[in-house]
Amino acid sequence: MPRTQSPATNAAKPAEPRANLVTVPADRPSAPARWRRFLAVAAVLALIWAALTGFRADALAFGVPAVLAGAALVFAMPPSPGWRLSPRGLLAFVLWFAVQSVKGAVDVALRAAAPRMRLRPGFRTYPLALPQGAPQVMFLNTITLLPGTLSAEIAGDQVIVHMLDTSADLKADLGALEARIKALFALN
Amino acid sequence: MLGLFAAALIGFGTVFFIAGTLGLLRFPDIFCRLHALTKADGLGLALIALGVALMAGTWAEVLRIALIWFFVALASATSGHLIAAHARQTMQEVGGADD
Repeated sequence: MPRTQSPATNAAKPAEPRANLVTVPADRPSAPARWRRFLAVAAVLALIWAALTGFRADALAFGVPAVLAGAALVFAMPPSPGWRLSPRGLLAFVLWFAVQSVKGAVDVALRAAAPRMRLRPGFRTYPLALPQGAPQVMFLNTITLLPGTLSAEIAGDQVIVHMLDTSADLKADLGALEARIKALFALN
Repeated sequence: MLGLFAAALIGFGTVFFIAGTLGLLRFPDIFCRLHALTKADGLGLALIALGVALMAGTWAEVLRIALIWFFVALASATSGHLIAAHARQTMQEVGGADD
């Protein structure tokens, strides 16, 4: 997922294809933090296993080893900065996300169906201000669901956004998204 | 009644899939087409998943449908970004149009 690269990278020039995927851990999480993450991952995997097998008890013979092995990958993966969700921010984000994805889909569907498509496509850049890791990944993925915007590329500390209509107010839309992601991850 | 509501959701979902395909065919370049596929088809799947979940018999089925929606939504946003980034890079290598 998006990581640091040399700040000298020019926004006009494409970044190295994989440079933005290199993980550069800022500080290693402590051992208890890793065990907490192990338990969290195990809980999520157990829920997925339960859903896939329809809560069958006899499937646990495979499920328990599979869940433990999957969660143990936490110790094999490079450490990444931890994050936590705010319950209130999560609820607000989910509702807003649902409304925005409907708006985005209706907008693009109307454009696709209109006899004269109202398109003024182009690229704009926006500075990445959120902390790296989960908040930034969430930001980049949600841009694509907002009406008229698509996260096209990461160049240094900027995201290059493709817009269906470049006359829309990108700064206001993405600023609002940033504020919601800050609330979601209980930042500041 | 519930079945009718579920059928309406699935019907609306299909409409968004058709709109996404229309965008794929009509939009002028790869970036605009990605908008159509990531947004319209994404909502289409969400509506169909919601409609099918209403008809599901067990909670495990509902969870499975939710998992399908979640992973498709994640894969769609991520692959949309990767395709756009790749298109930008290859376009600029051959000195193609930018902006």
